[in-house]
Amino acid sequence: MSSPKAPPTLEEFRARAALTGLTLTEEDLGHLHKGYVGLLAQMERMPSCWAWAAEPPHIFRADE
Amino acid sequence: MTDMTTLGIAEAGRLMARGDLTSTALTEAFLERIAAVDPKVHSYITVTADTARNAARQADMEMKGGLRRGPLHGIPIALKDIYETAGIRTTGHSHLKADYVPATDAETVRRLKAAGAVLLGKLGTHEFANGAMTSDQPFPAVLNPWTLKHQPGGSSSGSGAAVAAALCMGAMGSDTGGSIRNPAGYCGVAGIKPTYGLVSRCGIFPLAFSLDTAGPMAWTVEDCALMLDVLAGHDPNDQASAKAPKVDYGASVHRPIKGMRIALARSWYERDDASMTAETKAGIDEAVRVLRDLGAIVEEVVFPDLWSYHICGRLILSVEAHAVHRRDIIERPEKFGYTTRRRFQIGAFFSGEQYLSALRFRRRLQQETRAAMRGYDLVLMASQWGPPEPADEAPVIFHFLGKPSLTMPFNVTGQPALALCCGYGSDGLPLSFQLGGRPFDEASVFAVGAAYERATTWRSRRPPL
Repeated sequence: MSSPKAPPTLEEFRARAALTGLTLTEEDLGHLHKGYVGLLAQMERMPSCWAWAAEPPHIFRADE
Repeated sequence: MTDMTTLGIAEAGRLMARGDLTSTALTEAFLERIAAVDPKVHSYITVTADTARNAARQADMEMKGGLRRGPLHGIPIALKDIYETAGIRTTGHSHLKADYVPATDAETVRRLKAAGAVLLGKLGTHEFANGAMTSDQPFPAVLNPWTLKHQPGGSSSGSGAAVAAALCMGAMGSDTGGSIRNPAGYCGVAGIKPTYGLVSRCGIFPLAFSLDTAGPMAWTVEDCALMLDVLAGHDPNDQASAKAPKVDYGASVHRPIKGMRIALARSWYERDDASMTAETKAGIDEAVRVLRDLGAIVEEVVFPDLWSYHICGRLILSVEAHAVHRRDIIERPEKFGYTTRRRFQIGAFFSGEQYLSALRFRRRLQQETRAAMRGYDLVLMASQWGPPEPADEAPVIFHFLGKPSLTMPFNVTGQPALALCCGYGSDGLPLSFQLGGRPFDEASVFAVGAAYERATTWRSRRPPL
């Protein structure tokens, strides 16, 4: 993934949250920051580079 | 007849066909049991007693007149409360929909009614099939009928609990990341997540469009097969609906399994970074032995790492679920339970690039899984790490930050997967395992699952309510 290596601090996350349109309490922000950073860490397992034509993402059929 | 409520669908159908049982008597037995037992389990949000009695009378008249609609004719069933039902409130276990009464039935409900099924009511669910059960929601939390002290698993919590407690003969659940198989496993019933696209989702509250599936839960694998016979089929109103050939799932449960090849995905559940209880592992090992004794060939196969499916599915689910509920989560966040709200909010923080990358990753995992399965009919693996959480323990908001999900692989690949009981732990709670099949090959999954159930005695035990 192209996410920055260092996860966002709570303050950086708060700034980003302001752009989402969500109405968040301080408690929401704390939980969401923890969840987001946790998911980002898990996403390190996903490939970071894709060829243009590789694995076209817009088609999904279970029987392919 | 001792207790009509513990009959299987197949058995009750045979008795009704012979005229030895009426749907009215069967329905009354279930309504009485719901009144007596459900105050302890809380599996029902709404009991539709009058509707059920009318449908049962209709079924009896039809059968008396020689009309037999099929194996579900006159059979009492119930629905997870995200299935829209004409004239009956459909709440999603949420304040947001507490008074919502749809005008039309979901396509699956229409098919069940056309097959003569009798609707007993609507069942508790994790809020919108994603949150957990918390005290800030409008209905009580469903309890696991085996102990009444543990959670039943979710999100199809009421469906698993009601089937296990003999409060309906079959129930509908939905599965986006494991929501049929988790409660099926924890409640000791059978539940199948069908192939993505096999069963219509039209009229069911969506959670994540590219992962959502609808499927049956019942006491036995055979009963799930009989329900899927009615449910499967193309629906032009569901954009993901497949035009798959018609299969007789009821007949598939009698297929011999000698020579069938099963890939054992041991590396998915025996690992250094997540521990499984010894009893659960022993239950699966014993299931492998039973299947080998029945003539199946079970061999260990290495699949892509479980974490890959876990994060791929979780990212897709989080983003799509946010998109589905975005307006309400912005305008009325206080109406959601405290876990649901955060689980719907987090999807707002991921970029389009991250979502597309997950979709590409999904495609790769689908291809790699198919390659690993080459030469095998099925995959066998665990469906739970251990017993469910105690009911009085507050749910974790982001449950996916702990162990990797054992059920997500088949949501990511779209393959069918069945959870079924393989014994009981020392705490009295059921153990379970999963059988995954090739896309649209539910028949092989049912064949092996049903053969396993016939060869074991686990179906003779019910919760001590």
